[in-house]
Amino acid sequence: MWLAFSATFQRNYLVMKRAFPWSFFLGHILSGFYIIIFAYLTYFYVFKKDLSVSFSTYAGTDDYLSYVILGGLLYSFSVSLLMIASRAIITELREGTLEALLLTPSSRKGYFLGYVAQGLTRVGIEFAVITVTGYFFGLHLQNINWLSVIIVLFVLIVSTFSQALVLGSFMLYFRDTYITQNTLFVLMGLVCSITFPAHFLPEAVRWIGTIMPLTYGVDALRLVWIEGKSLSDILPYLWKMIILGIIYFPIGTFFIKRMEKYVLEKHFG
Amino acid sequence: MKLLSILVAETIKSHQHNFHNKLIYFSLLIWPALLFVTSYYSFKPFNLSDSSPLSAYMDVDQITMFLLTGYLGYIFFWSLVQSAWGMSYERQAGTLELIFLTPVSRIVVMFSRAAGNLLEAVWLFTGFTLFVLVVTGNAGDIHWWNVPLGLGLLSVSAIVWGGFLNIVFLFSRDAGILFTIFEEPMQFFSGVRIPVLAFPLWGKMIALIFPLTYVLEIFRDLVLNGKGLVELAEQFIVLFGVLAFLAIVSAFLLKKAETHAKETGNMVLF
Repeated sequence: MWLAFSATFQRNYLVMKRAFPWSFFLGHILSGFYIIIFAYLTYFYVFKKDLSVSFSTYAGTDDYLSYVILGGLLYSFSVSLLMIASRAIITELREGTLEALLLTPSSRKGYFLGYVAQGLTRVGIEFAVITVTGYFFGLHLQNINWLSVIIVLFVLIVSTFSQALVLGSFMLYFRDTYITQNTLFVLMGLVCSITFPAHFLPEAVRWIGTIMPLTYGVDALRLVWIEGKSLSDILPYLWKMIILGIIYFPIGTFFIKRMEKYVLEKHFG
Repeated sequence: MKLLSILVAETIKSHQHNFHNKLIYFSLLIWPALLFVTSYYSFKPFNLSDSSPLSAYMDVDQITMFLLTGYLGYIFFWSLVQSAWGMSYERQAGTLELIFLTPVSRIVVMFSRAAGNLLEAVWLFTGFTLFVLVVTGNAGDIHWWNVPLGLGLLSVSAIVWGGFLNIVFLFSRDAGILFTIFEEPMQFFSGVRIPVLAFPLWGKMIALIFPLTYVLEIFRDLVLNGKGLVELAEQFIVLFGVLAFLAIVSAFLLKKAETHAKETGNMVLF
């Protein structure tokens, strides 16, 4: 497994070094940046800091800008991660290396871990850039318990990875990345409490957010980041993410395996 | 007659190219509808009562209508950004070179390409808009006799804009940047989601770059406020000035692009 891990990591590192995916990198940073600047304009210029009463009840904080900036930050983080993990196999298919990959007896676990670990280096840079940008637009940066932040991010990464496996199977089935991924991302923007608390949504739509790890991740991150809550306060959120991960993981691995066979039969005869 | 046959050819091409897959309906309807709903709820954290600071720029009760008209205009313009994005595929696939080998008028091809794409790309969301109007009970507030004029204006401006983008893409193969620049900035700087009047000066300056800003202003005045042609004469003149400018620049760029391609022989490769 470690051989496959380090081989994939090194290969993707080389790919990144030689052909850095600038458009994805910039796109992810900008998607976070746009959420921030839009919130900033709306807050200061359109509504002149006049929030509704229900916002602080639902959001658990009065700090609208930090609320939305962290939302944008984690949204972009999640989108990046989902794209990296879910597009792995279909990229091999498109580049013609899938057959070779399937012929080797390498561990698929190691392959995916290597893929994600390498991708995380890029996601980390995006995260840092958006955080710094957010700071200039009013992101709260005092007294943050970084250890808790890292724990929240770690659980979110694991859970999102499982979700990405399911997304990846859909991509292989439809042989499409553009529509599949963006439909999920647009939906996530609506139901995951990114720019407004999901409590504002009607009940019939809100439940969709409960099956997305991001919904819990973003709330947990806000609690430890803005309100300085301790880990025990966000334990329920962490559990929910872990449970989602446990549910998505077997579904994802099962379908990815199925889809590998499916595309193999369909495309290589 | 020639013009018509080019238009028909481009429409057929666009249809066959885009509608072979049912997934297209996601980008035509589901995405814009979800974006519209998301932007509606993004207003919810703010004070939306009568004392809202927003009332300095618009009627707070009209938020749904404001966003709906905003997104309708946005879809007209955005669909042509997507279509211009397809230009880079035409280039790689070599169809662009084939078209340029025929004796057709290039400028007609470029604008027909935009026009051929437009109708198919917008009818679904236009239908959705009507649906929302009826469901939310706002259908009575619309000045219906101005709607055909408004939609016509929207189409003409979008086609000029689309033709211009198509031509810009004769110069470059990397079209991804187009999405980055136009997708969300166009959504908020051209007044789709929040009134341009509320922006600080630098925001207003950016708004002036997007033709959609001018079109939306007129469209909303026509359809929501029921203003007549005479009242809007000044805005119309500005809009036509902008469109004429775009058209002239398009014609100029097109000539330049073709000469450049002929000199360097790079129509296909780069």
